[in-house]
Amino acid sequence: MNGTYFYRLIASAALLLAFAGCDNNPHPRPLHAQREDGKPWVVSYRAVGEDPRSLDPQFSYDTLGHGIIVQIYESLLQYNPYKTDPYELEPCLADGMPRRIKNEGSGTETYEIRLKRGIYFHDDPCFPNGKGRELTAADFVYTFQRIADPAVECPVLSTLQEFIAGLGSAYQHARQAGKFDYSRPMEAITVVDDHTFRLNLLRAYPQIQYWLAMPFTAPVPREAVEYYTGKDGRDLFKFHPVGVGPYRLAQWSRSRFIRLARHERYTATRFPQNGWRSSQDGLLQPLAGGSLPVVDEVQFAVIREAIPAWLLFRQGYLDRSGVGKDVFNSVVTAGQTLSEEFRARGVRLYRDVEPGTFYSQFNLENAVVGQNLKLRQALSTVYDQERANAIFGNGIDIKAEQLLPPGVIGYQPGFSNPFRSQSLAQARKLLAEAGFPNGIDPKTGQPLELTLDVIAGSAESRQRAEFDQMQFQQLGIRIKIEENTWSRFQEKQLRGLFQLNSGSGWNADYPDPENFFFLFYSKNVPPQGSNYTRFSNPEFDRLFEQMATMDNGPERLGIIHRMTAILVEQCPVIFTHHPVTFTLNQPWVPRLFDNAMLVTAKYTVIDPALRARKIREWNRAPAWPLWTLGGLLAAVIGYVVIKARRSAL
Amino acid sequence: MGATLHETEVRGQVRSQSGDWERGKQNTPSKTMLNYFIRRLIYMVPILLGVMLITFVLFNIVASPREMALQNLGPKASAQAIENWLHNRGYSDEHGKPYPLFLNTERGHNPFDSLYFRSMKRFATFDLGTSFATGEPVVEMIKRGAIPSLCITLPAFVVGLFLSIATALLLVFVRDSLIDRWGAVLCVATMSIPITVYVIFGQWMAANLFNYFPAFGFTMEGFSTARFIALPVAIMIFSGLGVDVRMYRAVFLEEVRADYIRTAQAKGASHARVLLVHMLKNGMISLITLVVAALPFLIMGTLVIESFFGIPGLGNLMTTAIQTKDFGVIQADVYFGSLLYLFGLLLTDICYAAVDPRIRLQ
Repeated sequence: MNGTYFYRLIASAALLLAFAGCDNNPHPRPLHAQREDGKPWVVSYRAVGEDPRSLDPQFSYDTLGHGIIVQIYESLLQYNPYKTDPYELEPCLADGMPRRIKNEGSGTETYEIRLKRGIYFHDDPCFPNGKGRELTAADFVYTFQRIADPAVECPVLSTLQEFIAGLGSAYQHARQAGKFDYSRPMEAITVVDDHTFRLNLLRAYPQIQYWLAMPFTAPVPREAVEYYTGKDGRDLFKFHPVGVGPYRLAQWSRSRFIRLARHERYTATRFPQNGWRSSQDGLLQPLAGGSLPVVDEVQFAVIREAIPAWLLFRQGYLDRSGVGKDVFNSVVTAGQTLSEEFRARGVRLYRDVEPGTFYSQFNLENAVVGQNLKLRQALSTVYDQERANAIFGNGIDIKAEQLLPPGVIGYQPGFSNPFRSQSLAQARKLLAEAGFPNGIDPKTGQPLELTLDVIAGSAESRQRAEFDQMQFQQLGIRIKIEENTWSRFQEKQLRGLFQLNSGSGWNADYPDPENFFFLFYSKNVPPQGSNYTRFSNPEFDRLFEQMATMDNGPERLGIIHRMTAILVEQCPVIFTHHPVTFTLNQPWVPRLFDNAMLVTAKYTVIDPALRARKIREWNRAPAWPLWTLGGLLAAVIGYVVIKARRSAL
Repeated sequence: MGATLHETEVRGQVRSQSGDWERGKQNTPSKTMLNYFIRRLIYMVPILLGVMLITFVLFNIVASPREMALQNLGPKASAQAIENWLHNRGYSDEHGKPYPLFLNTERGHNPFDSLYFRSMKRFATFDLGTSFATGEPVVEMIKRGAIPSLCITLPAFVVGLFLSIATALLLVFVRDSLIDRWGAVLCVATMSIPITVYVIFGQWMAANLFNYFPAFGFTMEGFSTARFIALPVAIMIFSGLGVDVRMYRAVFLEEVRADYIRTAQAKGASHARVLLVHMLKNGMISLITLVVAALPFLIMGTLVIESFFGIPGLGNLMTTAIQTKDFGVIQADVYFGSLLYLFGLLLTDICYAAVDPRIRLQ
């Protein structure tokens, strides 16, 4: 090899780099550079862990799908961004809140709902001339028919059919016929006129309003469902959503990204007029009452692994990020504030309590723990959540002492559960009262043995089980750990084949206590529902039935507090924690509100100029690695050339 | 692969020992080849059935269909929703009664009317079915993933092959020198490091140090593709280099001591000619088997790299399917992969026989 070859090699490498343009932006180019009015086209860059399985609002029930569906579809009601304690609903597609009509004598109820006028579906080839038509009451008839269609597989049908007229019978009819007949009238909805309809309920159920804020009841156009059948080169409807939401699906490149673009004719809601912190006045006052969405395009990059997602955030290519376990210590200090490195970058850290509660469950049908209240109270008293939290949760979760999480009506801040004091002495006393002094079963003279069912998945789940075991064994009893696969664990819960299990929890579908208390309502014992503890208390049941159909007010609050007290006293579960998440926002993404129920991107505000500047600053491409590599190669080649001249093969 | 090679070699030796006796009965070459081909195709059937059986057992007994349903519908799904899901995916009949796994022992039923035989019937007609998670036909998903996978694997394979042969030749040329010894150390070191480490380190360097290429992502737009595949391809090449270089070096080292090399040198051929023409040609006979077997498999992509770089290939498809317990995709992907693997083996045997005149097929 001679010198010319070497120079050619270097030249080709340089050419390759030139082609590459030394650009490390991983995202596809935005759809447009400018808006029609000449302003810059602003893009929000986010990440999702995988492709959503479906963007069908009547089917999807996972967080990932939800995060995208709510951008494309909208519901009759929505959560007010600034009212979170307690959460509050406001009209979205509906023109005013639904009017509740009690049908005297029959016990049934009706909600009359008026739709806003001038709400249009996204432009899409499924409509004549590709122009989205106006939303009407008939679209809600179709939507509720879809909920009952077995082919749609709506996961909340079994709940909704308990309250909404005609859903159950329509489902059964379709199962028998093998096909849903969309021409049959639907009992659930009575159309009054093009923009007014009535939703017919089998009984009083004020929580229906929360369901009207969920994507399950978001209107879908019949044209789209019938057009996107997966045949003739068309997508399936679940991959090609068409709604009335602030964004339309512009492109979905599977396993790569989902790109949403603004719905040009979106009018359903406008930017709030007030409610934000006064420090945000300068930023938000100009937007007050303005049209939505603020950002023109939202790109969701599909990033399965945590490491690349974190690297892209560090480079500035993602606007927001969670704080993963691997990087927790480099981002969050012991005092739960942002580390110096990230503060210097202008990144902001937010701490959010999720509307959920975790607990360990007793099986109250079990002869040992079910019959012995003091035993349950002793076990609940001894469990040290603060230590569990420090070891396994980076110390961020909130210790739970009641069933209802913060933000849900009836949550009592500062509530102290006498059986969650974590006092070993008190627990020992309770255990002695339970008939097991020092943990010894007087019948056998041996320590009392209980079985703890856990899901075995990882080294951490095993460590957690051993931690739980240690906690209870402080009382002198013996805990046998039974490891289960996830499905076996579920099956044991369903069939009541456990004594004590850990790691269960409930995240709010909607922030009403009914959505938590129903877990302990005796009529929800499996297979009917999710009352896995088999808790059955006549007073609790009576209060539940009363509370579930009441409007909010002091009387309802009193009942809720009484129900909380019953659960605290009876200890069907050991409350562990309310989960807390940390979120990081780049300096160009101000946080506008703290509302865990609201994941819409329509209010998102971004400063694109600041982003461009920071990205340039954080992504400089140095030349020295190229020179080092070139030098190394040259040395090896030089050595070989010299050797070839001097020696034989 | 190794076993097949050995078998063919032994047959070749046996033939040459008793060659005179059998030569009289020898068929025409094309007929022999066809016979051989058909026989190999028949061998494939039990292997395929075995692979499918293992996959089926793993995903129906170890993890139950109910678990798949729950995973797909979310933990809050009702019993009714789960039953409906299972029914829509062929796990139960119209009355909601589940089909048996292997043999239908119920009176009045066809004994083969079971989950396993139903799916085998489908695969026999090359019907790959649909995804349990999304309902999409798996054929479409495979078609969509094949090109991105090849965008990574093909350049990595070709460049990697070229580089490892070149490096192996170089090491043979400078054998027993300092470079050779340190080369060995480096090769063993690169072999011992898991691919995930390369990926994490590579991405970290790309994102923190170089910033020449995107640390993540993929596109299929001309030169932009080069920008995205540069890093994953480099990582793939580098991670595979150690093994290949050591192997090829061993092959060439054997050749360099052969008589024909000394003859070539005695005739006055240059170093380059001896290495690149005489030695490479003979060494290739051993290499070709390794190379050809890998070729069809390239389409299957890579699990770790695609997953970390967000390349929408078949490796990514498989990782997602495993994570989401999408048995529809897993089963079809394993079937497709097994077919490709067997095809690769067949191709190897044929190529081996074709390039080495000492080997006969029978």
